[in-house]
Amino acid sequence: MKHRPAEYLNRELSWLEFNGRVLEEAGDKRNPLLERLRFYCIFHSNMDEFYMVRVASLLNRIRHGDGKPDPAGLTPYEQLRRIGTRVRALVDEAHTLYFEDLLPALSREGIVIEAAGTDHAQSAHLNRYFHSEVFPVLTPIAIAEGGTTPRITGLTLNLAALLAAGTEGEEAEPRLAIVQVPSRIPGLCRLPSADGQRYCWLVDVVCGRLGALFAGYRLLEIGAFRLTRDSEVELDDEGRHDYVGMLEGELRKRSRATPVRMEYEQGMSSAMRMRLQGAFQVEEAVLFPVRGPMDPRPLTAIVDMPGRENLRFRAQPPLIPPVFEQHRSIFEVLRESDLLLHVPYDSFDPVVDLMESAAEDPDVLAVKLTLYRTSGAASPIVRALIRAAEKGKQVTVLLELTARFDEERNIGWAKDLEEAGAHVLYGIAGLKVHAKIALVVRREPDGIRRYVHLGTGNYNEKTARLYTDWGLLTAAADFGRDASGFYNTITGYSEPPAFERLIMAPAGMRDEIIRLIRREADRARSGQGSGIMGQMNSLVDPAIIQELYSASQSGVKIQLNVRGICCLRPGVSGLSENIRVVSILDRYLEHPRIFAFHNGGEDEVYMSSADWMPRNLDRRIELMFPVVQQHARRRALEELRTQFADNQKARLLKPDGRYERLAPGSSARIRVQEFLYRTLMEERELERTAPPARYVPIKKEEN
Amino acid sequence: MSKALTTVIAAIDIGSSAIRMDVAEVRSDGQVLPLESLKKGVQLGKDAFTDGVLSEESIRAACGVLQDFKRVMDTYGVLRYRAVATSAVRESTNRETFLDRVLMSTGLDVQILDSPEENRLTYSAVLETLKDGPELQEGSSLLVEVGGGNADITLIEGNEPLQSGTYPLGAIRLRAGIASTATHEQQMRVVKRRIANILANVRRSIALKDAVNFIALGGDVRFAALAAGGGRGNLSPTVLAREEFEEFVESVFRSRIETLVRKYALSYLDAETLVPALMTYLLLLRETKARSVIVSGASIRAGILAELTPEKERGRLKKLASQILSAARSLGRKYQYDEGHAERVKDLSDLLFGELSGEQRMSDAHRLYLQVAALLHDIGLFLNTRAHHKHSHYLIVHSDLFGLRQRELDIIGNIARYHRRALPQRSHPTFMVLERDERVLVSKLAAILRVANALDKGQLQKVADISVSRDGDHIVLTASNVSDLSMERAALAGRSEFFSEVFGKRIILREAEATS
Repeated sequence: MKHRPAEYLNRELSWLEFNGRVLEEAGDKRNPLLERLRFYCIFHSNMDEFYMVRVASLLNRIRHGDGKPDPAGLTPYEQLRRIGTRVRALVDEAHTLYFEDLLPALSREGIVIEAAGTDHAQSAHLNRYFHSEVFPVLTPIAIAEGGTTPRITGLTLNLAALLAAGTEGEEAEPRLAIVQVPSRIPGLCRLPSADGQRYCWLVDVVCGRLGALFAGYRLLEIGAFRLTRDSEVELDDEGRHDYVGMLEGELRKRSRATPVRMEYEQGMSSAMRMRLQGAFQVEEAVLFPVRGPMDPRPLTAIVDMPGRENLRFRAQPPLIPPVFEQHRSIFEVLRESDLLLHVPYDSFDPVVDLMESAAEDPDVLAVKLTLYRTSGAASPIVRALIRAAEKGKQVTVLLELTARFDEERNIGWAKDLEEAGAHVLYGIAGLKVHAKIALVVRREPDGIRRYVHLGTGNYNEKTARLYTDWGLLTAAADFGRDASGFYNTITGYSEPPAFERLIMAPAGMRDEIIRLIRREADRARSGQGSGIMGQMNSLVDPAIIQELYSASQSGVKIQLNVRGICCLRPGVSGLSENIRVVSILDRYLEHPRIFAFHNGGEDEVYMSSADWMPRNLDRRIELMFPVVQQHARRRALEELRTQFADNQKARLLKPDGRYERLAPGSSARIRVQEFLYRTLMEERELERTAPPARYVPIKKEEN
Repeated sequence: MSKALTTVIAAIDIGSSAIRMDVAEVRSDGQVLPLESLKKGVQLGKDAFTDGVLSEESIRAACGVLQDFKRVMDTYGVLRYRAVATSAVRESTNRETFLDRVLMSTGLDVQILDSPEENRLTYSAVLETLKDGPELQEGSSLLVEVGGGNADITLIEGNEPLQSGTYPLGAIRLRAGIASTATHEQQMRVVKRRIANILANVRRSIALKDAVNFIALGGDVRFAALAAGGGRGNLSPTVLAREEFEEFVESVFRSRIETLVRKYALSYLDAETLVPALMTYLLLLRETKARSVIVSGASIRAGILAELTPEKERGRLKKLASQILSAARSLGRKYQYDEGHAERVKDLSDLLFGELSGEQRMSDAHRLYLQVAALLHDIGLFLNTRAHHKHSHYLIVHSDLFGLRQRELDIIGNIARYHRRALPQRSHPTFMVLERDERVLVSKLAAILRVANALDKGQLQKVADISVSRDGDHIVLTASNVSDLSMERAALAGRSEFFSEVFGKRIILREAEATS
């Protein structure tokens, strides 16, 4: 791939900008307070993941002397340096936000987080609490100079103590000991209080009572610190861990010992810091002084506390498509017409309904499904599959485990599935199955009919309320044949067929995307109508970016909503002046992959499980599918177009890689995540109240 | 459970480089709708064409694939299916073991398909897909399918096959035995030379140069259509300009296997057969006048499925009758038969058959056997006038006659053999290879043929002038427009004994009374 580095944005820096937008939401006073606190927590946990995964991999490359620059021309070392600068600025901003904005605002709502035990009653309560609950589980570890590296779990909060033995005046080097703040005890302690809710940090409680642990020593200094370790995993598109197959445990253990970040309490003496740094062998570039809460995760207890609805986003209960109101079966509904679902505006229930109906219906012969992330044994879909298998239907489930140690958690219900007679596949060697597709085969009076669901999100009814995603339910025969072909492929029964509708990765999805982009470019050059609209989580693939550039240069107007990483540099004259990239960050995590090609007026709309990233297109089994029926295509197109009208939560990507919040100016305020819900609800209301057709026969007039 | 008005059927084809299955549904109106298509590579051909024996590893792999396929069949509760094996299994010495192993591990009953039937099945599927275009040029078409073991080549005109044959031009066979140490260029040269050698044989029996259309079938050429023509694969035919096809094949021919694997995301298995297969198509194409290659998605499985539909199974020969007869005439011409005599004997046989078929429980298929035997009974004269009936038998059973199974050719050959001289006897090995009911059938039909042949000795030129009636145990043939049938009576006297013996009826010849 020939390209010039200046044409690309570095993916790590682009990701940091994304997390910056998360922080921006935490600071946006138009958001309800507890939601802001949630964004603040997400910002920190995102950062943790970023170090565990992305920075860890950079450090590894540096350690192995790999100096190969990325497509943006930055060497791993240069990337690490720039990451450090940006992270310091962002974290500093976060702490300022915490102290100057969030804490006072919470306090005004009667939620107070304070230093440990400000009054006597509280102090007494904490003493009791400490001695009965906390003290018994504290285990100090002595750190000897040149001794073995202490085993400290990543992301736990620890206190380091410098201890002087015996009486004052002796010249011996002070000893260093470490105490882990217990991670099984809530990190925020509730304080007795007459008014409102008062909390203090567990770490402060322990810190103030540490003397009890070191009788006979003098405490010279106490300082908190936290290590982040290499996790040897990838991040998936939801920012969650994506364990790279069944990697050799050996490797993971060894790398587990590699710290990729050390945060320490601001004000820690350099003597203590250097001893910690030496003991854990932490690189200078990943040392961070912290002046706010080092581990803000306990704050989620406040975010998720019951009640306080006035401090949260107004509820938008998912809507059930009106076709179901006449109590018709899902099979009947789908025989008539395809059904498009845009969750969480639309309810995910029809998908669950399809699986549950399939389990109960005596004419259903087979049920097949890919499970990438699911709510496990509690999932109604999993329960339906077990029931279907028990009833003797042929059930095939491809289960993509997220991690080896996840197996234990999953194994229970996976075993139930197998024992019920289902054919359970635990992944495909060398490829992660990320495609989301369900197939129900049913024998009907006029023949075999196949019902297919294809989606951009996982079969997880919980995330279907938090992430936006598209799904298509159809009974079209060509989709059915393709779905069977797909399952015959992943079960190893057959080689991949020539699909009629589906486009599969790694076999040809990138080529197909490039073909579609080039077609727009051709149309534009010959003076026909052209245009590309797309939404995805990340845009990284250099080959596709290059095609988008040439399409832009041919005059194709390209609008993209890229929620996370975007390596494409938009709006550069001569390169990408026809490309506009926005990113929307709001209450729901924008998760769909949907692409529209104007095709000279014959618009084509595709949905996909894959982001435009090399990982998705080369190392995963993914599916892209067209939205064929006109009513569905029109809706998808319209709602995709609305994405680019948002002027509340959308940010515009500038040529330099920074993002700028869009302002409504003189036009009406549009916040797409509310607008879509409201519009949908109004439409449904209209459909419902529309008077039923009346049939008045015209009779021949009598003479 | 609601009552299903449809049947799900399956066709399995165990080929040289892959095992394939099509599952389809027959709707109440007889329409066949595809449900699933599966393909899994198994290199049976590599074993068969190098060692002549299927290896344990391949047998096991094949059984594994068929078990998976059976599971898919079971999803739909498929009861009606046909599983066939082609050249790789056919040419292996341990084919019986193979069939038994498959039966034991999967319950699937696999039949070994002979090449004429293979051609016929493919041919009928192709005609089906070409019904909706593309437009064929006026003139004859060459139908080519290059498999792993063999290439099946048929010349057709309109709907009639003229000549057809199976030649050792299979992609795996062509590569077999070439030293892997040879360079890519050397290997390709050997492949090209092998194809050229066999082409000389093809030219002798099939008029390649007459073809103005070139219809290609098979996985390799379908891939070429996809890769060279762009677009996405499906079953409808694709047309590639001759130059376009040539260019693509040449580029593939120059590429190393690894390049093909990477460039087209092919398996090594598929990439290895691609080059020799495409080269075979190209060299055949160059023998014809065709300006383009029509790539048909039709397969032998589509042909099998078509015949599995309840009503079509019964109608197989009926539907094919005219095509089979025209293939027989084409064979007759090749051996310079007396066309007039052959046609008259056929018509006379037909007349008698029509009179007897009801009481003798003879079917349309039997009538067709008799017609073909009647057309070809004298072709042995081409070799030698002495014992020509034996030569006729030999030529017929080795003829690859389109649309007929080997067993059927054996029957027809025997009918022709007994049109003169010795009667069927237990001491004739070629007669005794037939089953008992087949031997009875041959005797009946040969008896009719003898009579028909005798009747054409004299002046009974027009069958239209003859009517048949019964008079007790006598079958009375009444001829109009003749005055004296003594010649025919004399000829018949020596040749109707067998007829009387078989049917218990005598033939009487009468002149029609003059109606003045």
